[in-house]
Amino acid sequence: MSEFQQSTEEIQKVDHYLDSGFKIKYVYENLSGMFVEFARQEEVTLLQILTADARKYFSAKLQEQTLLQ
Amino acid sequence: MADLRINLAGIKSPNPFWLASAPPTNSGYQVQRAFEAGWGGAVWKTLGEPILNVSSRFAAVSYNGQRVAGFNNIELITDRPLEVNLQEIYETKKKFPNHAIIASLMVEPKQEKWHEIVKRVEDVGVDGLELNFGCPHGMAERGMGSASGQVPELVEKQTYWVKEAARTPVIVKLTPNITDITVTAEAATRGGADAVSMINTINSLAGVDLDSWNTIPHVAGKGAHGGYCGPAVKPIALNMVAECARNPLVNVPISGIGGISNWQDAAEFILMGATGVQVCTAAMHHGFSIVEDMIDGLNNYLDEKGLASVMDLVGRSVQRYSNWGDLDLNYKIVAEINNDVCINCNKCHIACEDTSHQCIDLYTEDGRPMLKVREEDCVGCNLCSIVCPVDGAISMVERPSTIPSMTWNERQSLLSSLSK
Repeated sequence: MSEFQQSTEEIQKVDHYLDSGFKIKYVYENLSGMFVEFARQEEVTLLQILTADARKYFSAKLQEQTLLQ
Repeated sequence: MADLRINLAGIKSPNPFWLASAPPTNSGYQVQRAFEAGWGGAVWKTLGEPILNVSSRFAAVSYNGQRVAGFNNIELITDRPLEVNLQEIYETKKKFPNHAIIASLMVEPKQEKWHEIVKRVEDVGVDGLELNFGCPHGMAERGMGSASGQVPELVEKQTYWVKEAARTPVIVKLTPNITDITVTAEAATRGGADAVSMINTINSLAGVDLDSWNTIPHVAGKGAHGGYCGPAVKPIALNMVAECARNPLVNVPISGIGGISNWQDAAEFILMGATGVQVCTAAMHHGFSIVEDMIDGLNNYLDEKGLASVMDLVGRSVQRYSNWGDLDLNYKIVAEINNDVCINCNKCHIACEDTSHQCIDLYTEDGRPMLKVREEDCVGCNLCSIVCPVDGAISMVERPSTIPSMTWNERQSLLSSLSK
């Protein structure tokens, strides 16, 4: 899979969670990339983001969420 | 015609082109010839206790047919008695009262030594002083030049001693042989420097002779490190000038030095904060007459830009020089190949495939070989356009980002707000 395809899939996952009412609750980064906790009421799910473009995209989404709060 | 006159910390000269302290400014004969050719100023070859030189002294690095891409020297400061130099400075200043003569000085790091030479040099009418804290070879082994220029406390203290005695502006010339040149630039400023100049030469060994195994240059079979300059060092010098120009603690004018070979190089240094420039290697390679093209070229450029004075150009690009963390992560450019111009050498494809992001595809159209960039995989690194031998075959073009601009620093601040 090309990196573009991989980042597109990761971006779609981020959009899926946000469009489904999840909020970004917690983020951390390590040698394996970025890990994001999405929360919707009591439901919590973890997403690992590997690609650089998706991590940039996620940062923009986090900024959007922060501005809306 | 733009006004090319500059005023660097009170030192006035008819144009921003000075000869740097080096072999071209060794004598009154040379400096007077330079002024006749059009140079606006000259920093006299460093004065101090007369030294002894060796033979040979110079070496150059050529690259792919480009002669003197870099230049290496192991020559020391003046080998002539102070009185001889002072007499020639006096005579030159008398003949060329409107040209800038700056005396480069180097003595042991002792207060009385600095006071003595400052007084004697100023008595013959120099327009300013340049303290040589940069020369990396020979003199450094004796505790002078870059040996003292690498120690911020010594830079500050010696500058202070000179300022105690000086009546003319004091420029402190800095060595690039240090991790962060702004540290010594700040030290010079604290010591009272009226200006700083940079860069002096970079520690170097030009090469090794593969037949004799001697160093290049060598002196009877032995070599010692020299100072490197010329076009190859320009990017290093330009960065150091820019870093000082954007440092609020280095709030003095800058004289830019390092690989300046034409008016374009000079304009780049001026845009990055230099009030004037000093040239050596290009003059040694091509002679003093190169200044004619420098003057004409800069004049035309200023006219094109609608600037009345070269002083209006000083520092205009400094604000554009930033920290990496303040760059926009979401700015996007991609390569675009013009197959009508492309000669199908495939250098771009090879470079991208082997050493970058594998985003240039080869294909054929009506039996004709073609190249195409897959924009979604292109990171805008520029490599293909750098290696392309044909002007206009590859352009780097902006693509609007689908997400708003964000710097690394902004991103980290945002992420930290969510960390546990």
